[in-house]
Amino acid sequence: MNGPVQSRQRILGRICTATQAVAAPAGHLDEAYVAVARTYVRKGKLTRETCLELLIERLREYDAEVVVASPDELPAAIADQLATTGKRVFAAPAGLPKQWLAPGFDWKIDHQLSSADIELTEGVVTAASCAVADSGTIVLHHSPAEGRRVISLLPDWHLCIVRASQVVETLPEYFDRFPKAPALITWISGPSATADIEMTRIKGVHGPRFLHVIIVRDEGTPPIQRALTSAVLAR
Amino acid sequence: MSTVILDPKHAPPFRDAVLPVLRNPMLRKNVAHATQVIQSKRAKLLAEKADWQELRAAASAIRTHVIENLGAYLEQFEERCTAAGGVVHWASNADEARAIILDLLRQENATEAIKIKTMTSAEIQLNPYLEKAGVKAHETDLAEIILQLGKEEPSHIVVPALHINRSQVREIFSRTMHLKDLSDDPKALTAAARHYLREKFLRVPTAISGANFLIAETGSVAIVESEGNGRMCLTLPRTMITIVGVEKVLPRFQDLEVMLQILARSATGERMNPYTSLWTGVTQGDGPQRFHVVLLDNERTSILARPKERQTLRCIRCAACMNHCPVYRQTGGHAYGSCYPGPIGAILTPQLMRMEHAQTLPFASSLCGACFEVCPVKIDIPAVLLDLRADVVKIERKQMKRAFDLMYVGLRVANALFSRPWIFHTTQWFGRIGLGVFTDKDGWIKWLPSIGGRWTQNRDLRGLPKQTFHEWWAERAKGTK
Repeated sequence: MNGPVQSRQRILGRICTATQAVAAPAGHLDEAYVAVARTYVRKGKLTRETCLELLIERLREYDAEVVVASPDELPAAIADQLATTGKRVFAAPAGLPKQWLAPGFDWKIDHQLSSADIELTEGVVTAASCAVADSGTIVLHHSPAEGRRVISLLPDWHLCIVRASQVVETLPEYFDRFPKAPALITWISGPSATADIEMTRIKGVHGPRFLHVIIVRDEGTPPIQRALTSAVLAR
Repeated sequence: MSTVILDPKHAPPFRDAVLPVLRNPMLRKNVAHATQVIQSKRAKLLAEKADWQELRAAASAIRTHVIENLGAYLEQFEERCTAAGGVVHWASNADEARAIILDLLRQENATEAIKIKTMTSAEIQLNPYLEKAGVKAHETDLAEIILQLGKEEPSHIVVPALHINRSQVREIFSRTMHLKDLSDDPKALTAAARHYLREKFLRVPTAISGANFLIAETGSVAIVESEGNGRMCLTLPRTMITIVGVEKVLPRFQDLEVMLQILARSATGERMNPYTSLWTGVTQGDGPQRFHVVLLDNERTSILARPKERQTLRCIRCAACMNHCPVYRQTGGHAYGSCYPGPIGAILTPQLMRMEHAQTLPFASSLCGACFEVCPVKIDIPAVLLDLRADVVKIERKQMKRAFDLMYVGLRVANALFSRPWIFHTTQWFGRIGLGVFTDKDGWIKWLPSIGGRWTQNRDLRGLPKQTFHEWWAERAKGTK
């Protein structure tokens, strides 16, 4: 058997021989890459309002709970959501805004908490980097307000705060917004699920079984339309 | 316990392996149900996606570009992943890959490892190898754990336990997890698996995964999953080992905008799978602090060297081809004798075996083209199947056994018969008498001896009519009718 160095050389050598006739000449790889035709939809056509409605609809189809709040209403909306769970112990990323830590709950702030400590919490509140309406996807880049990956994984209940200005319609729009990849990304589309037994969709296997989302109408989004908000809040 | 053999070196030929399945109505029902559900979910989602064909075209073009420039992108991946704190290993074949992984596990003093579902690990038969070496590999995907605990074999690459129904899962779980009162409600079964695995996630410090995509531009790895077992394995342990075929690389981060749109829709009929994770080397304070990638060749470069077959490597393992294949939907996956079943398996497996094994697989297709039509990266599977069939014939032509093989002898005889009318007519006359013995009253032949049995073991044959067309025509001309 050959050593690892030989294997590397052998594999790359075989690839080189095999692709000789078709590989882009040295220094022209980027040209060949850019020549790949991309005629799919990049930019969505929906208005901001319908785009938000679409996100809400798609999240609900995944059995996520969604509410909408103004920036002023946010701390109260968070407290509301926490209260509905009947739970008391919540984890929070180290960089979560202080005003989001609703009083009356036992907060475990993640200053490198051990997995065992996080396992003892009953829920978690995090921010997000982006949300994609078309597929109902929330994107975490694990910044200080979004927390380490483990913090939004072990607790059974996840409340995610998404600002309306972070919502894009299509997946390519997300990539336009973040052309440079962060080191860590988690794309979340609804709570953990499986269909491994007879293709029956079961919510909640190993990740959080409950996903709640608050969409905050921050600057740059049109004023709250009562019709949408009250309909959403009524659910 | 399953008696299925998924090692192409030892598996029986396809036409023999299908027999137990065709005679197992429960298995056929389970497979038909599951594939039907995915088919209809996928169709519904595609109808709302106006740019589906454009996405397919781009996905196919990106994958073609990668494969044609594989060397450059692999070197780029290696450089960036290493710069981010990962360690890249290269394995020419299954033996080397297994040895590298075991060596890494030994360095960790590991006696156990938790695993994210990976077909590549099944391809190199990693679990039994580790078990023999004293490392217990715990599968954590729900389907994989059903198979592992039930000592069953996977029959699909996305939903590997689709041939097992809820009551069978209940039986496996209640027996192996010692849960006497477990119900067969999928909810209860899923909860049992969650409880069973939780302790392992928190305790075992070494994980093994596959990868859906490697990103050359950034040195990142992406895993697409549903349950969160993947996130557990790539977040909680101290050490992570990823085994991945060399063809899985993508040029840039942005290419995920195409791949993530087509993969879940094709695989499970969802707009997006619940969780997709991307990580880059090692991140201080978050996730495993030791990270290894094993890049596996295992005959992929041989496939790359063949211009017509090269497209096989575009595959992103969505399994749409098997969900839509009229053969797979009848037989399920086990008959293919490989961890890669269905149309993609029929072209991939023989090539991974250098055409020395699994030679009946290219014939396990009606060439209807459904697989090509649904493939999100446009692999022309029927064209590759035909080319591989030609290869098989070329190989067999050189073999002495061909001189005595009943089928080849039969074809030579047929050639002689068809080229001389008087011999042909005489043969017809004898044939009518000979086959008459086996023809039922309803005009069908349901059993034939010897080589004829190869036809009648799976399908009925029309008996010869009392009169040939020539005879009828001659009589008509005489005016007797």
